[in-house]
Amino acid sequence: MSDRLRLDQAAKILLGVWMAGIVVAMFLVVPQYVGLGDAGRIIILHVPTAWITTVAFAVSAVYSIRYLWKRRASDDAGAVAAAEAGFLFCALATVSGMWFANIVWGTPWNWDPRETTILILLLIYAAYFALRSALDDVERRRRLSAVYNLFAAVTMPFLLFVAPRMAESTLHPNCAFIQGSHCDGIWLELNGARVGQLGDVVLALQGIEQRGDLAVAQVEVRMPGLREVALLTPSFELSSGKPADRPEFPGQQFLLAVEGVDLTNGRVLLNMEAPGTGLLSNSRTFWTFMAANIGFLGLFIWLYRLRADVLLLQDRLARREVAYELPA
Amino acid sequence: MRMGEPLRLVANDVAIEYGARRVLAGVSFELRTGETLVVTGANGSGKSSLLRVICGLQRPARGMVTIEVNGTVLRPSEALHLLGWVAPDLHLYRELTALENLTFFAAVRGMRCNRADLEALLADVGLGGRGDDLLAAYSSGMTQRLRYAYALLHHPRILTLDEPTVTFDARGVALVEQVIARQRERGITVIATNDPREERFGDYILRLGRERL
Amino acid sequence: MDPRVSPQSTVEASTTTAPPKAPLLTAAWAVFRKDVRSELRTRYALNAILLFAVSTVVAMSLGMGPLTTSRNADLPIIHAALLWVAILFAAFTGLARAFVQEEEARTAAALRLSARPTAVFLGKLWFNLALLLLIVAVTTTLFVVMLRVQVGNPGLLAALLLAGSLGLVAATTLIAAIIARASVKGALFAVLSFPLLAPLLVVAIQGSANALAGRGWESGVGALQVLAGYTIALFTASLFLFNNVWEP
Repeated sequence: MSDRLRLDQAAKILLGVWMAGIVVAMFLVVPQYVGLGDAGRIIILHVPTAWITTVAFAVSAVYSIRYLWKRRASDDAGAVAAAEAGFLFCALATVSGMWFANIVWGTPWNWDPRETTILILLLIYAAYFALRSALDDVERRRRLSAVYNLFAAVTMPFLLFVAPRMAESTLHPNCAFIQGSHCDGIWLELNGARVGQLGDVVLALQGIEQRGDLAVAQVEVRMPGLREVALLTPSFELSSGKPADRPEFPGQQFLLAVEGVDLTNGRVLLNMEAPGTGLLSNSRTFWTFMAANIGFLGLFIWLYRLRADVLLLQDRLARREVAYELPA
Repeated sequence: MRMGEPLRLVANDVAIEYGARRVLAGVSFELRTGETLVVTGANGSGKSSLLRVICGLQRPARGMVTIEVNGTVLRPSEALHLLGWVAPDLHLYRELTALENLTFFAAVRGMRCNRADLEALLADVGLGGRGDDLLAAYSSGMTQRLRYAYALLHHPRILTLDEPTVTFDARGVALVEQVIARQRERGITVIATNDPREERFGDYILRLGRERL
Repeated sequence: MDPRVSPQSTVEASTTTAPPKAPLLTAAWAVFRKDVRSELRTRYALNAILLFAVSTVVAMSLGMGPLTTSRNADLPIIHAALLWVAILFAAFTGLARAFVQEEEARTAAALRLSARPTAVFLGKLWFNLALLLLIVAVTTTLFVVMLRVQVGNPGLLAALLLAGSLGLVAATTLIAAIIARASVKGALFAVLSFPLLAPLLVVAIQGSANALAGRGWESGVGALQVLAGYTIALFTASLFLFNNVWEP
């Protein structure tokens, strides 16, 4: 008993020191990035919180299965605690992400696939809590909220499958983290599909011109909040095979680039670029990032177990009141 | 008379709580084929809840009720076909007629009953010729009679009657006596009542008090 | 079997240990027929939903009247989104009724004591599907007529509406059973259903926009596949989870 307590104590201190170290490293170890400035440091906070959100959802679902299986109050407490901690991390990830997006992309919200999924997840958590508060009978509350939790978990794969297909590309750096999301941009052709969508921006290819070594594309751009149609002319260096001129989307801070040209067929590969790609190729950033993931995971586990214990204690106290008919 | 296989209804330490209020603490009993139990007690002593627990319509806070046939304990889904329940809490579909109600309940139980069977059942409970009336037009006494038709439709071996004669006239009381006498030959009866005259039906009497610890 | 049981005494046979278990689909069909009959007699859900659908479409056509294809290339996607929003909200007003009615009229206990949970679920699911298909048919017809929508590929649109309805019913029937046990019912139904319906809505709206714009079947096959997968997954999950919802 006392051994366990001492171990718990040690783990808590270690976690505190670890997290403090991460905060320091976030500002002293992680370098500044071109185009991102200090905003790039948010990767240390934002990505682990977003990741923990999904871990929390899965943990909560597993507890819900266990509850329906064994009907133990402790499993329900675990499911609620994991959902509450997950909701907290979900809100943190959303707010930190919107803040970063506003600074770096010039817009707090653009229905990026990951923005869509985290918003729906936030709504599911909120619905779960709303359901719990609407059920008076304790046993029924536990049972029905566990059912809802699992039912919601069944729809998650569809959301993860559908969301990336809502838009042809993502502004998020490192697409690799999300399966099925297109980082590849979109091919538009003069004689075929001229119109395509990147994020919530609608693009229409109007023409391609060759000027010496440069291929210049004329692209009509429409986006929410933009009154007029804008004409952008990104270009592509044929000899090096790299984008040359990358104009900014009007009113935003992300860029339109031509990443490939097929002059004979009149085809252009268009993509949007946001600063921040390749952030993790810096080893100092990478290791701080990994440490942050471990730290936040530890923080989550500590938080939800603490909350689960409190919930169980509350439940026991309520039962004791029943047994002795104490006035509520 | 046919008794069917030996039947046992066992309540083991059944406790019932409503939120923070405990209405029943640790009731145990055991009944066998042919036996009748009368449960009495003041309002709020948990009589109705105990009957609901027996029928699997309510989950006890502690303990359990088991039904055994031939020594094997039935799963709740198997026990459904053995249980009949009459209670002021029992509501049928008011927008349907009595016959439509009975036809529906027979169909979901997988019974093949024709109209004549159901009309005979209605006549048995004193509702002969009223089968095509909507329940919304039924008086409280007729509603109570229809509850008997609902409960006896599948000839349950365990019949639970909550306030069996409530809203009944003298003929209705005679009907209840007849039902209880017949049930004695078929299986087990549990009656919850406040009427001292009904205590005579019971082989055993369980008196519930306000529980205090 | 007991040799004494004669053919005409089917009722007596039910006193033996193994009572005749109602065939699942027969019992489910009985629940469905009961619900239809009750609904036709009371029109609790029907009147409200149909009037709701009419008001929504009229409100939309009042606001959207001047929009024409020549002035707006995005018209198919706008129309598709509006149509699905109208269907979604009509569904939110009506689809919880089947379970809420049982709890409010307090008939759930009688049903619980007589029918297998799966039969109840299937019966209510069919009833909801019938109700929703009616809603969809009425809403879509009104929508097309009053907003003068040009439907380029009516077959594809019909297929998407059918597949979307199946998914919508598969997702909301279990939730209706859940909220029927809660203290605040109406608002909770939409709150719990919407996040789960998000993938369905996205796919259905995009597919329907293609159908309105007159693109071929190949533009809607992907959407139909996702909707079918969604329906099957949620239906299967509902079958597993419903017992836990229906138990007292």
